[in-house]
Amino acid sequence: MIEMYGVTKIYPGGQVALKDINLKISKGEFVFVVGPSGAGKSTLIKLIFREEVPTRGQIFFAGKNITRLKHREVPYLRRRIGIVFQDFRLLPEKTVYENVAFAMEVVEASTRDIRKKVPQTLERVGLFHKANAKPSELSGGEQQRVALARALVNNPDILVADEPTGNLDPDTSWDIMNYLDDINKRGTTIIVATHARELVDTMKKRVIQLEKGSLVRDEERGAYSK
Amino acid sequence: MKLRTIKYFFKESFTSLIRNRWMSLASIGAVASALIIFGSFLLLSVNFDYILKDVESQVEITAYLEDSVDEAGISELNKSIGAIEGVKEVKFISKEDAIEEFKEQVGRELLEGIENPLPNSFRIKVNDPHEVGTVAEKIQRFVGIEEVKYGKGIVEKLFNIIYWMRIIGMVIMAVFAAVSIFIISNTIRLTVFARRREISIMKYIGATDWFVRWPFLIEGMVLGLIGSSLAIGILAVAYNYLFITVKINLPMIALLPIEEFYNYALGFLGIGMLIGAFGSSFSIKRFLKV
Ligand SMILES: Nc1ncnc2c1ncn2[C@@H]1O[C@H](COP(=O)(O)OP(=O)(O)O)[C@@H](O)[C@H]1O
Ligand SMILES: [Mg+2]
Repeated sequence: MIEMYGVTKIYPGGQVALKDINLKISKGEFVFVVGPSGAGKSTLIKLIFREEVPTRGQIFFAGKNITRLKHREVPYLRRRIGIVFQDFRLLPEKTVYENVAFAMEVVEASTRDIRKKVPQTLERVGLFHKANAKPSELSGGEQQRVALARALVNNPDILVADEPTGNLDPDTSWDIMNYLDDINKRGTTIIVATHARELVDTMKKRVIQLEKGSLVRDEERGAYSK
Repeated sequence: MKLRTIKYFFKESFTSLIRNRWMSLASIGAVASALIIFGSFLLLSVNFDYILKDVESQVEITAYLEDSVDEAGISELNKSIGAIEGVKEVKFISKEDAIEEFKEQVGRELLEGIENPLPNSFRIKVNDPHEVGTVAEKIQRFVGIEEVKYGKGIVEKLFNIIYWMRIIGMVIMAVFAAVSIFIISNTIRLTVFARRREISIMKYIGATDWFVRWPFLIEGMVLGLIGSSLAIGILAVAYNYLFITVKINLPMIALLPIEEFYNYALGFLGIGMLIGAFGSSFSIKRFLKV
């Protein structure tokens, strides 16, 4: 699904965020990206949905080299990727339903599809009963589930999440992880950048560890640290 | 593009127009001022042109003959002048005709018993008033012509005035258009700023640049359209008033009919829309580079 060859990212200020990263993530995998703050986790995620481009090296998405993607091709790459952020990024004046429907409107889905898919997806994250609530009326965990639904509603091949539980308490974090696991079991590839040691240790998924921009460990069924 | 998408674009644009109503009004005012000023100069110059056409058709050349030219020479000259390119009409005025005309003007008694001092002459009309000068020069070169007279300078000056009026109108319009673009782009910037969160989410979800851009373009174009409609309305009312006033008080001056004015309306709407589109595209550009 995703392949990186010799990927280095140096920010305009000269900050080296990633150094010579080589990795391969296959379809259907569940991968944790761990490491201390500033290790380059967010940068790695941003390279995948092309908010950033590598300074050196090549990145392939589903066999296509995305390092040389034209500006106008980027939206079509992003439609295949669901993105979840630490701060949810919901639109406060829209309802739960509208927030999810918005993702389909933006890619110009048909009204019929929207009416069918949005309730289905809300059901999947257990929020169908809150469809008409505003984000401000929801708990953090519920807001993140709305964000999950929005990321899923267009059937992405892969879901990337940057510290999705960073703003949540441990119980709620567990809840989100279980949803992610469930989504993964239904075939969506998942990449999660996280600090949450306990979750990583318990879930026993593949772990990619970054330190100061270098990939220092890539382990199947790994723990947060060695 | 889907109908629902188009509806979405318009809904977004009008929401912003209302949310930023003061800036929207300023933008509309700027576009309207630009076009009213441009329109005034345009109407002034078009009317000048129109009135001049009337005056021009009366512009004549008078060529005075030397007394030594005989009957045969006169008809020879008449033919030669008539053959000059651009000459519409040549009319011979004999000494006697001339003195009769003069007597008509100043009073018969006054000139009683005085020997006729006036020469024979031709009165020449030309097709294109712009050519009066060159035609006069050519006539001057014929043997037997004593002197050629026409409204030398006046015609040229009038054309000059029209020319400069158009240039000044254009320059002022360009300045005002630039100001309008600036104000509109600031209005749209407010909208973009208010919606920056939504825009960034749209980009992450995979919206194309055009999907993000359209609501802002529509907002700018609507501002331009309203501004230019306002300008057309104000100019139409003002011109109508002027037209009627002139018609009553100065019936000899024929202004361009009011209907002709509406021929420019579509062009004005187009200019207004362009100004709006320009203004908004300036503001969005930066925000699309996510
Ligand atoms: N836009 C940016 N411009 C400059 N430096 C950046 C930028 N984003 C991140 N960095 C730097 O790159 C390094 C890696 O950052 P990041 O990928 O956010 O790490 P993490 O997500 O693991 O905390 C850090 O030193 C950070 O300061
Ligand atoms: Mg980070």
